[in-house]
Amino acid sequence: MRVTALVILNSAASSSSSPEAADPVVLANATDVSRFGYFQRFAAREFILFVARTVANRTPAGQRQSVQHEEYKVHSYNRHDLCALAFMDDHYPVRSAFALLNQILDEYQKAFGESWRGVKVDATQPWPYLTEALTKFQDPAEVDKLFKIQRDLDETKIILHKTIENLLDRGVKLDDLVEKSSDLSAASQMFYKQAKKTNQCCTML
Amino acid sequence: MNSRVGQATYRDRTLEFVKAVESLKKTVSLAPEVPSGTDALSLDGSKAAVSTQSEFNKRASKIGLGIHQTSQKLAKLAKLAKRTSVFDDPSVEIQELTTVIKQDITGLNSAVVDLQLLCNSQNESGNTSRDTSSHSTTVVDNLKNRLMNATKEFKEVLTMRTENFKVHENRRQLFSSSSSKDSSNPFLRQRPLASRGHHDSSTPAPWESDTNNSSSLFLGRTNADPSSSTQPLVQQQQQQMAAVQDSYMNSRSEALQGVESTIHELSNIFTQLATMVSQQGELALRIDENMDDTLANVEGAQSQLLKYLTSVSSNRWLMIKIFFVLMVFLMIFLFFVA
Repeated sequence: MRVTALVILNSAASSSSSPEAADPVVLANATDVSRFGYFQRFAAREFILFVARTVANRTPAGQRQSVQHEEYKVHSYNRHDLCALAFMDDHYPVRSAFALLNQILDEYQKAFGESWRGVKVDATQPWPYLTEALTKFQDPAEVDKLFKIQRDLDETKIILHKTIENLLDRGVKLDDLVEKSSDLSAASQMFYKQAKKTNQCCTML
Repeated sequence: MNSRVGQATYRDRTLEFVKAVESLKKTVSLAPEVPSGTDALSLDGSKAAVSTQSEFNKRASKIGLGIHQTSQKLAKLAKLAKRTSVFDDPSVEIQELTTVIKQDITGLNSAVVDLQLLCNSQNESGNTSRDTSSHSTTVVDNLKNRLMNATKEFKEVLTMRTENFKVHENRRQLFSSSSSKDSSNPFLRQRPLASRGHHDSSTPAPWESDTNNSSSLFLGRTNADPSSSTQPLVQQQQQQMAAVQDSYMNSRSEALQGVESTIHELSNIFTQLATMVSQQGELALRIDENMDDTLANVEGAQSQLLKYLTSVSSNRWLMIKIFFVLMVFLMIFLFFVA
């Protein structure tokens, strides 16, 4: 489960009324192209940006969308013309992806307020939060609290099952001990009677 | 008369109405351009009074026709709502009808309010006779009463429908376990229908007082038809979007429910754990008791054996026995020899 890229775009110009609208403007960009060979990295980055622009163009305001592209899934969320996209593989849970997009959008709006609306050219400076978010959120448990809670609960359940098995074994051993101790007490009682008998009876011999 | 046409409720006389309107159009040339009753003041002569009066009559008849159609639809809706059986639930049609009727009633409401304004302005302008003004006020009151009755019936039908729906839900829960999906279906259906309803309200309803379309009802209707063909496309897109949003929300709610059920299972496991531990505690107590008994027995046996040992190792009884035997022999020996 990995996230390949996180992109934030300003898609203010892309409304369906103007078919030749300007493409969405890239505001922040973080890509992890380490899987590709060295010479393909630049092309992969361009490709990611292009796909991001296309999908952001097609996502209407206030809507979430998931598009399957080759082996990647592109999730996009357009909130008040600020569009966030995430490129991830098929195993990443969809809900966590949208939670991640929500969080990125909140952070961006906290960091930059409304200044992004005036930006018309692609932003070239990397935004450090996005790059560290890319590395941090490779695991969906980090971003999606529900996922983390579910995972913890599952682990707890496994531990509890093991505990119950141990408890059952303990029960079996305790049963064994009970039997043995009752046998022991019966034997000791016989021993005591025998000793009493030999002690007090016939004084012959 | 045009106003009579609107008040005849049991026969469909729209064709007659249209012909009357057309004939009126030919006689009164100023009729299509009269925007509202306030402009009647600028026109002079009896033509102005006649044109505004015919305008008023036309509008009143339109409203009456609208009310009649709405009450027909309401009757259909009432029949559908009563008819609901468990398997053949026409809830989609019912919802559609409900939204359509709601829009009609709101449109009719605004139209009646406009008509009343027009009537008041006509009365204030002073060009009309007393009979005309009283006639127009009675017509407006009549229309308002009929609209109120239609709204009341609509509300009754809606309450009946919700009661029926609740009964069906209970029955469904009794017989099937997939009731959770049913409770979400009405909300899923309502949203696309609401979006469809928004698009329908954008086309001018024929009976709304619309000065540009006062020419004829059917012209307005045929204009709306080509534009309505593009509406289903937009509606479908909106439905898809609504479905995507719903699936996101649904997945979140499912995740929450999953977490809740896991926590329930965990609580079950913990209670089982506690019962088992308490039961095994009893076993431990039994073992303890058994061991105590064993200890007591063994100690007693040990004391007995110790006593035996001392009795065996001490020779006192033996000495008495040997002495006794010697005495007996001595006695016998002495007795026989002496």
